[in-house]
Amino acid sequence: MRKKYLAGIAAATAALLATTGCSGAAAPSASAGGDVTLEFAQWWEPELPSGSLRALMDQFEQENQGIKVKLISGPYASTKEQVVAGAAAGTMSDVVGLDGAWISDFVKQGSLANLSDLMKAANYDDSQLAAQVKLNGSTWMIPVANFVYPMFVNEDLLKKAGVSEVPKTRTEFTAAAKAVSALGGNVAGWAMPLDTATPNGIQNDVMSWVWASGGSMLKDGKPYLTGNQDVKDVLDFTKALYDAGAITKGSFTMKEQDKVNEFTNGRVGMVIDSLAHVNTLREQNSKLNFTVSAIPVKDGYTGKGGIPYASWGIGVAANSTHQAEAFKLVSFLMSKDVNAKLCSAAKAFPGNNTAVPDFVSSDPVFKKAFEIYQASNVTNEFVGLPVAEDLMRSFDEEFQKFLAGKQSADDALAAAQKQWDAAFAG
Amino acid sequence: MSRRTRSTLARIGLIAALVIGAGYAALPVLWMLSSSFKPNTDIFAYPPQLIPQNFTWDAYAAIFTDPTKVRFFLNSYFVSLSVTVLTLLVAVLAAFAFSRFDFPFKKVLNVVIVSVQAVPPITLLIPYFGLIVFLGVYNTYQGLILTYLVFTLPYAIIMMTGYFNTLPRELDEAVKVDGGSSWTALWRILVPVSVPGLVSVGIYTFMIAWNEYLFALTLTKTPEMRTVPIGIQLLMGQHSYEWNQMMSMSILGCIPILLLFLFFQRYFIGGMTAGAVKN
Amino acid sequence: MARRAALLQALPSPAAESDGGQDRLRAVRRGAVPFGYLSPTVVLLMILMVIPIVMVIGYSLMDNVIMKKNPQLVGFKHYIDILTSDTFWSAASNTAFFTVVSVVAHLVIGLLFALMLNSPLLGGRTKAVFRTIYVLPWLFTVAIIAVLWRLLLDPNGVVNYLLTTTGLTGTQIEWLSSPETALFAVTFINIWSGYPFYMTSLLAGLQGIPGDYYEAAEVDGANAWQQFARITVPQLKPIIISMALLDFIWTTQQFALIWMTTGGGPLGTTEMLSTFTYKLAFTKYQFGTASAAAVIVLTISMVLAFFYVRAQRARD
Repeated sequence: MRKKYLAGIAAATAALLATTGCSGAAAPSASAGGDVTLEFAQWWEPELPSGSLRALMDQFEQENQGIKVKLISGPYASTKEQVVAGAAAGTMSDVVGLDGAWISDFVKQGSLANLSDLMKAANYDDSQLAAQVKLNGSTWMIPVANFVYPMFVNEDLLKKAGVSEVPKTRTEFTAAAKAVSALGGNVAGWAMPLDTATPNGIQNDVMSWVWASGGSMLKDGKPYLTGNQDVKDVLDFTKALYDAGAITKGSFTMKEQDKVNEFTNGRVGMVIDSLAHVNTLREQNSKLNFTVSAIPVKDGYTGKGGIPYASWGIGVAANSTHQAEAFKLVSFLMSKDVNAKLCSAAKAFPGNNTAVPDFVSSDPVFKKAFEIYQASNVTNEFVGLPVAEDLMRSFDEEFQKFLAGKQSADDALAAAQKQWDAAFAG
Repeated sequence: MSRRTRSTLARIGLIAALVIGAGYAALPVLWMLSSSFKPNTDIFAYPPQLIPQNFTWDAYAAIFTDPTKVRFFLNSYFVSLSVTVLTLLVAVLAAFAFSRFDFPFKKVLNVVIVSVQAVPPITLLIPYFGLIVFLGVYNTYQGLILTYLVFTLPYAIIMMTGYFNTLPRELDEAVKVDGGSSWTALWRILVPVSVPGLVSVGIYTFMIAWNEYLFALTLTKTPEMRTVPIGIQLLMGQHSYEWNQMMSMSILGCIPILLLFLFFQRYFIGGMTAGAVKN
Repeated sequence: MARRAALLQALPSPAAESDGGQDRLRAVRRGAVPFGYLSPTVVLLMILMVIPIVMVIGYSLMDNVIMKKNPQLVGFKHYIDILTSDTFWSAASNTAFFTVVSVVAHLVIGLLFALMLNSPLLGGRTKAVFRTIYVLPWLFTVAIIAVLWRLLLDPNGVVNYLLTTTGLTGTQIEWLSSPETALFAVTFINIWSGYPFYMTSLLAGLQGIPGDYYEAAEVDGANAWQQFARITVPQLKPIIISMALLDFIWTTQQFALIWMTTGGGPLGTTEMLSTFTYKLAFTKYQFGTASAAAVIVLTISMVLAFFYVRAQRARD
């Protein structure tokens, strides 16, 4: 019995060797009875209120008889490897949750379907979409829910430190951060997570300062770091805070989640953080008295500021045999009411520009955040860049060396520029 | 100083050293246990609270009331137990060959078996994944079991060979003199004598299978197939972690292994490589 | 060979009297016996390990594997790239430090605990209690070990709290985030999580040393240290070699622990071959180069395995 089985495996393997691994066989996802079963892989389900995503899927199934949706949840930190491996083995789910920073790499691998083509085939009106992530003239990802990153302020700490107004400029911010740090104990003015395993801090907590004052790290779509005064100013500004001890200790391996914990426990005066955290903060520390505000700008800047964001994006797998049905699910999630419902649950700003999530009017903090959101340019220059995570990481490493006093700001920028250029050329 | 006082002093010193060692070993685990009974924020409170001030069972309740999470545990049990049984079976056969026979390519085979474990799993991931999909065992128990089987086999073979090497050859040769085959010698004589070795290798195999994450994640897809380490990682969200649930899940996860260890302790301590030094 | 011949002679085989042709057939069949026992292992490892490894070796010679449909053969380019990269060598030296210190410390702590737990001064129940406590670090998945130690070693964490309140240090130490301490911190964590493997095995080994060896040594006037050096260590040597080899191979591959505590930072001070390879594969998508790094590690391990097998033969 076993011998037969093993012989079978041996034969199969010989065949496999001949095809050098990449078997093009897509996972069949059609089930009995002519029904189509779509797999929807994402990391959102565990982050949403229990059952809320499933409820939306049930609604979709009801509206689209003959299509079933299977939700597949994976840990966020591993989503990227899973997509790459899944695309290589042809087992990628039909519909996938995406982060803007991954798009360029997946497009290069050929793992994503061209959404422009799918939209055309479905006669889809894309004017309702707040944003689309495009590359080479086509759309590959649609942001479903956007999490903007304003500045969170612990009002009690600022008051205690004698700071009466929420800082609006970098100078005010520096003064406030130093004053809060001077309170002693283990309280600090600001937290800057620079962990290199997930180098998102570069996007959310460092480059955000550049964008907030109208600066850019790109010129004509190419890296622009060497000689970029806007970026250099931010480097010098953070170094001054770092040297003054106004930043929470442990920056070099701090993760976004650690930053949130520090803020929740009232040990840091100001952080740049996702709006998605408002509810968590309230749930976990009801005594925390906080507000949100725009990221302070460089002194004298009066133009429109940029506000960083991260998205839950959505795309369709190139290996899906049900792309038309998959796109139905995409358009369902992007439709006004459904999008509003999803974003209300996620505490995110909608990807459909006509959708209005319920929390915007009912909650003062969100109301304020929505005002900031509308008054700013939503900016994330890393979206769509090649090997975006690697860009953040190489910048992060040079930035850390600069903070540690091992190199000057100019050298750090020149070194990062060199690595970015190489990544763009590759 | 009399001999008795000296031995009393030695005993006191030894117990003191053991207590210090126990602090090193167990305090982090104690902290984990205490954190599993705290609300999330209190885990980061400063000064730290060893005894939870707001004691809560929430984290445990969240696991037991969620059928998906309970399923993670059942999957892990099933996979780990199957792997343990199969690994022992296959390893015993191979170890017997290595221990009792001389044959061509023995050395080469030995080098291969030791060094197949040396390829970083992360680089094996994609070709291995392709193979599993090709064999049609993607997202099945068989796929996971086969995977852990090949991961644990080299270790199990090395340890079991060492163990068999320590058992006197006269044992199995006696069987042959009576006209029995080597097969009989293995199952009637060597295996029964090797129970301690089997138990210790088995427990370690179980732990490797129980704790593996990367391949478990890649080779399964649906929530019905996921195992405990994935369940723990699912609690590490994009923006925040469910710290207390992570802690409670790993406390719950370690209990069966601890019970196994306690149950087999007698063998375990006498086994592992006990025989390896006897002659 | 000689042993098998002896074995054949010992068997009262009727075949011995029959004609030579049949005799040879039997010898062949007998020669096939060990391969029968090995067949499941060989089949499993061939299909599920050797094939992927061969594919990795293939990848290491090609460019754009996985990411492009038509990878080109580039020969040893990736090997040259890696062996001339500074990051690789600093990762290699960090890995060497991490591995050697971990293996030695595992051994020392494991042996120390095993000796303490084996002491005749203690009652069986006391031993059982401590044995259970000492085995605890072994029971958790790496992810949780990483998360737990991140909590403990946080600047505002338990360890710093204990150190500052007892006055051992004046300020909070950034254990994992300071370039000066990070490598030591991750090594410490790895030591904590790995010593029970040695402890239990050595404890088992100690039970197996015949008591009369020690009695004889006592008669000869050997003190405790001499007994340890002349009896305990040599008797345990075979186990120690096996374990050290396994541990060495496992530790050089330790990825999750490093990745989840420091991510290879700060300033690359905890960059290991494993994190280096991971970044090549999954953030730069250079699977060819990553595979070349893997093959280099494999080669080093094969050399080690070769010495191990030789050592084993010498023991036989």
